[in-house]
Amino acid sequence: MELELRFFATVREAIGASTARREFRTGATVREVLAELESAYPALEGTLLDGEEIAPSITVLRNGTHVVHFDGVETELTDGDRLSITPPVTGGDG
Amino acid sequence: MTETLPPVYGGEILHVHLDSGDTEIEPIDPDDARRFLGGNGFAAKQVAEHVPADADPLGPDNVLAMAVGPMNATPFQSTSRGVLGFVSPMTNGFFDSTFGGTLPRAQKTTGFEVVVLHGRADELSYVRVHEDGAEVETAQELAGLETYETCQAVREREGDGYDTHVLAIGPAGENEVRYACSLHESEIREGVAGRGGNGAVLGSKNVKAIAVTEGSFEPEPVGDLRERSIQQMGRLMADTEMLQEYGTAGLVNPINEMGKLGQRNMQVEQTDPENAEAVSGERLEAEYVTEDTTCANCAVKCGKHVSVEAEGITQAKIPEFESLFGTATLQEVYDIERVIKANDLCDRLGMDTISWGVTVAFARECYEKGLLDDDDSPHLEFGDADGLVELATLTANREGFGDELAEGSFRMAAELEDAERYLYGAKGLEFAAHSARGLKGMSIGYATGTRGGSHHDTRPTLQYDGNHDETTEGTPEFAARSQHFTALGDSLTQCRFVSEGGWGTMVEENYAEAINLATGWDLDVEAVERIGERVYNLERLINAARGVADREADTLPHRVMNEPIPDGPAEGMYCPPEELDSMLEEYYAFRGWNDNGHPTTDTVERLELEDVAEAV
Repeated sequence: MELELRFFATVREAIGASTARREFRTGATVREVLAELESAYPALEGTLLDGEEIAPSITVLRNGTHVVHFDGVETELTDGDRLSITPPVTGGDG
Repeated sequence: MTETLPPVYGGEILHVHLDSGDTEIEPIDPDDARRFLGGNGFAAKQVAEHVPADADPLGPDNVLAMAVGPMNATPFQSTSRGVLGFVSPMTNGFFDSTFGGTLPRAQKTTGFEVVVLHGRADELSYVRVHEDGAEVETAQELAGLETYETCQAVREREGDGYDTHVLAIGPAGENEVRYACSLHESEIREGVAGRGGNGAVLGSKNVKAIAVTEGSFEPEPVGDLRERSIQQMGRLMADTEMLQEYGTAGLVNPINEMGKLGQRNMQVEQTDPENAEAVSGERLEAEYVTEDTTCANCAVKCGKHVSVEAEGITQAKIPEFESLFGTATLQEVYDIERVIKANDLCDRLGMDTISWGVTVAFARECYEKGLLDDDDSPHLEFGDADGLVELATLTANREGFGDELAEGSFRMAAELEDAERYLYGAKGLEFAAHSARGLKGMSIGYATGTRGGSHHDTRPTLQYDGNHDETTEGTPEFAARSQHFTALGDSLTQCRFVSEGGWGTMVEENYAEAINLATGWDLDVEAVERIGERVYNLERLINAARGVADREADTLPHRVMNEPIPDGPAEGMYCPPEELDSMLEEYYAFRGWNDNGHPTTDTVERLELEDVAEAV
């Protein structure tokens, strides 16, 4: 299956691109996708996963919704899904 | 009960009577330090004690209390904030607005934890504060100057360069634009006390600036606060990486990605990725940022300067995320250079970019719906970037239609038939960027916030991480406890980013340890959270006495309660009236407030607020 990947801020810097389309195994989980990205981009190694869990230094959205509202790192993705990876989103100044 | 004041406190409050120039020094009661901690808590107590419940916010009976916290000028990380406390000309209720830079640290070394301005000067003046007291200096030559110009002019008059730490208002403050702000220009970064109209309050007092000279007081933490701060440094730097690289502007893209970033006066909450990208932190960093800036004692350096050759802008303050919401996405203006220009103008003229931007967007929707027309203003089309820039100057000078914008969206709506449905704010204050429809914690947090439309009462940070964003279950308690967290943090005067990034997003053991090391007290986590709860209840008591805090006031605007987000990832989200009612009941019960949203006698006693309850 093909996923649309969007990268923001420091994650984008590490990858060197803002978007990518990439093939994954049908039914791949968020964990598998993050692991593959860590393998594909050396600058990301150790930054997306903390053991088996999503690293606290990133936020992962599936079609704009935080993956904690699905099954978290176990969320199974489907063809055409958009996965956005960003540093944690904080509350803004003012 | 504490017998003596810990040596981390300077120990005194300085009262300045602007009409006579007289000053009084009041010792800080050690019991007040234990109850209210400093900063926000101290400022609220001054407002409670000195501002009559019927005082006009723009009259001489209002005060402006500038307060610092117990750990300013100590090794405790990023306690570089100062607090301005006053009754707001936007909300007619208590308001505290914070700012960074170097002035708060300088104030701390004078030994005055709070400087309270009373009355009104006869002529335009600035207030010089130093360790021996203060003088009110007539300064008619400052009339009409922009904020940065004023800071420079006062520094030159004092003759000590950046050793004089200046907070100033611009023309908007002098003209009593209701959301006028004040700006502090230090050698290492700017700090803006942005919200609530503190600049208008200073303007109404004929105070153009406050100038602080460092003194000799050195706060002495009882324990090893330096070592404790070092222990948190790794977590802090890891969790604030985005802020270090992009500042708060880095939030534009991800929050748009969630479909919770207002566009077109909140008619929709997501724009095309290309538009978001055009006004994003990533773009600013790549094309416009020229240097990082920082407050005193902070390694995060979230501040940035930007330059735009085409606009003649050199080393201006970067637009913060909230400002990009107010002046870019909400306007459907994605011309970043014009947006930077509008923001720089707001900083120079001294206006809150959130309230101004939301007010302009409100006016633009009124124009779109036929409630205003070209005779009112030619600058009211969504997407009109040049018009946006024009409106900034008109507003600050109260020229033409700018005079109406200067009153804020709520007062404008009161003059226009059927316009209330386009408001986006609560209690008279326009909301910040964090969606009142898309984040359930913000729905109840905004509705119950002391300040109305502030994102520094209930915080959105945990909600963006998937907590209390989509459910109402447990959310009223979360919102209330987040309000304790922010009231505590603003009483410590620790930067929110450093708190959330390095120490914890709710009140936790880290804070108790740090406060105990600073003061020598032996507080557990519950007692520390109770300080925040006490301060929040004190604010509520002030507002209840002023008639601006009750169940009727704890509400949300029409769109938030009646129009679901129309599309995008958050499609269908809103907070219908019955949902708000249900959350309010739960919230009041958790707080120990009655059905009308007022603290009960038992709650006042539990929080040891009997004396201040009597004062208000």
